[in-house]
Amino acid sequence: MPKAILGGIEIEVDEDGFIQEPEKWNKEVAEDLAKIENAYPMTEEHWKVVNYLRDYYLKYEIAPPIRMLCKQTGFDLKKIYELFPSGPAKGACKIAGLPKPTGCV
Amino acid sequence: MRIEDISKKSEILLKLKKEDFMPLPHPYEKGDLEPEIRDLTEEQLKKIEASLDGISGVGLKKPETKEEENELIRKFLSGLEKLLSPDDNWTFLMPFYHSLEYCVKCQLCSDYCPIYLSSGKKEIYRPTFRAEILRRITERYVKKKKRLTRLISVGDIELNWQTVARLAELAYRCTLCRRCAKVCPLGVDNGLITHEIRKLFSQEMGIAPRELHELGTIQQLKVGSSTGITSRALSNIIEFMEEDIEEKTGRKIKIPVDKEGAEILLLHNAGEFLSWPENTEAFAILFDIAGIDWTLSSELVGYDAVNYGVWYDDIQLARIATRHAEIAKKLKVKKISLGECGHAHKAMIVIADRILVGDLNIPRESAIPLLRELVLSGKLKLDPRRNNFPVTLHDPCNMVRLMGIVKPQREILRRICPDFREMEPHGVDNYCCGGGSGFAIMQSMNFPDWRNSISGRMKLKQILEVFSDVISPEVKKYVCAPCSNCKGQLRDLFNYFGVNKRCGIFYGGLAELIVNALADLKRPFIDWEWH
Repeated sequence: MPKAILGGIEIEVDEDGFIQEPEKWNKEVAEDLAKIENAYPMTEEHWKVVNYLRDYYLKYEIAPPIRMLCKQTGFDLKKIYELFPSGPAKGACKIAGLPKPTGCV
Repeated sequence: MRIEDISKKSEILLKLKKEDFMPLPHPYEKGDLEPEIRDLTEEQLKKIEASLDGISGVGLKKPETKEEENELIRKFLSGLEKLLSPDDNWTFLMPFYHSLEYCVKCQLCSDYCPIYLSSGKKEIYRPTFRAEILRRITERYVKKKKRLTRLISVGDIELNWQTVARLAELAYRCTLCRRCAKVCPLGVDNGLITHEIRKLFSQEMGIAPRELHELGTIQQLKVGSSTGITSRALSNIIEFMEEDIEEKTGRKIKIPVDKEGAEILLLHNAGEFLSWPENTEAFAILFDIAGIDWTLSSELVGYDAVNYGVWYDDIQLARIATRHAEIAKKLKVKKISLGECGHAHKAMIVIADRILVGDLNIPRESAIPLLRELVLSGKLKLDPRRNNFPVTLHDPCNMVRLMGIVKPQREILRRICPDFREMEPHGVDNYCCGGGSGFAIMQSMNFPDWRNSISGRMKLKQILEVFSDVISPEVKKYVCAPCSNCKGQLRDLFNYFGVNKRCGIFYGGLAELIVNALADLKRPFIDWEWH
């Protein structure tokens, strides 16, 4: 696996830049990932999404259904794309340090 | 390009350029709205094999030493011998052998292959190209025929690393849609040959796309689902679905889980729960109204109908199919019903017939005819005016061409969609969405670009054509695709070409359209934002 310097530390990432060592994730790592995904600077709204994803992931070891994310944050899909131009999975989940979604999703 | 070029020591056999591809209808006729396929980065090229066409679907690592390379070539050959042995390949030997022996190379199949046509008739994508490579390797290295007894005019293929590496990728340039097999006058199945090559790589050499194997079947058997959904996450999602149903329709429904002795165990592709819960919600609503005795399972593997083994590995296929049957047996259900997932239909209803015997041979059927029964029975109060937008139907290859489920979905749509229109061709002659055989979930490196530009191109052309009279983005249009894999592909394809914005074309499943037509709904069930 390739490595990348994110938030000043070396982290293993997959071929598409998703971090492979979730325990190394922190605010600075997220901000560096946000730069790559055109979601920088991160506003309060960005953090609301990222923190929700992060909390759900720590509880259930998976990203929530996208509709659940929208309901819980109060943002519609359009707004999510405005905040994270590469979308909820490739953008928001990646910045939140979640692994790349798998299966027929 | 000659067949024997596959062994050539060159950097790349084919450089893809978008101006070569099959032209698309309005508004894509000029080609300027289409992105160029991305090259792999220099760093990726150092480590990963992409000498076929510059694309990596398999993520095959370059061998580091000559010994490693030789070992892989040796394994390839032993794998090929096994494919041809009745002890090792009792599942598919007969059709495989016949397809190798009987092709007369008339090339009729080429003009039926959407990938060959979409690419601008690139030789390496011809359905017979990879089959002929395997045939020549078999003649020379397995049957060990002497030069004179082989056809003089046929060029020899060197079984070197270039050949093996390119063949690994080439096995993932065909969606196994089997349109070629349908048109072949001799019944030669080049899709099956592709499948057997994938099997050889996976079962003998441990080479398969990560999304199908490690994150697919392995993860499903370990965690419960290839999506990573655990039983605990599932209960949270089901709770969410129940709330969502109540909010949208005012109905309070308890979704049955692990109900012993139920008539039907409904298996959904777990991708639906995460990406398209409106589909699983729609099933719950319809079954509830019709008073059907059904249940979901929360057991490991029991809540994910997928069986990616059907695309690349018989052993993984058997493990998952057996698990599904065991769960149904334990629950004492009368039958298993498959939701809107094409490859799960193929795996569980057709192929598993060779594996599930005795008390594991539980009746298994598609949910589509059952939906038809509900719609035509009069149990649902339907108002077709609710679906007052243009609708077309995509035929998932596994349900339609393979299994012959052609009419039920059409009878439903004719009943509930006043502006239902057929794409041409359709039914058993349909074109694949371009995401078949695992392509829709292969999301790594530049493979999605190839999938969107080439394997999905014919479907995009058909969709644009069927809606050409209402192509303006102001008119919302719906492509009904009763298969999770096809939906994932349509979503990516539409995003890649900006189809939602430029043409107002959306996609979704079948059950949602039925619920959307329920006469007593206060607001539409279909929420365009999500499609």
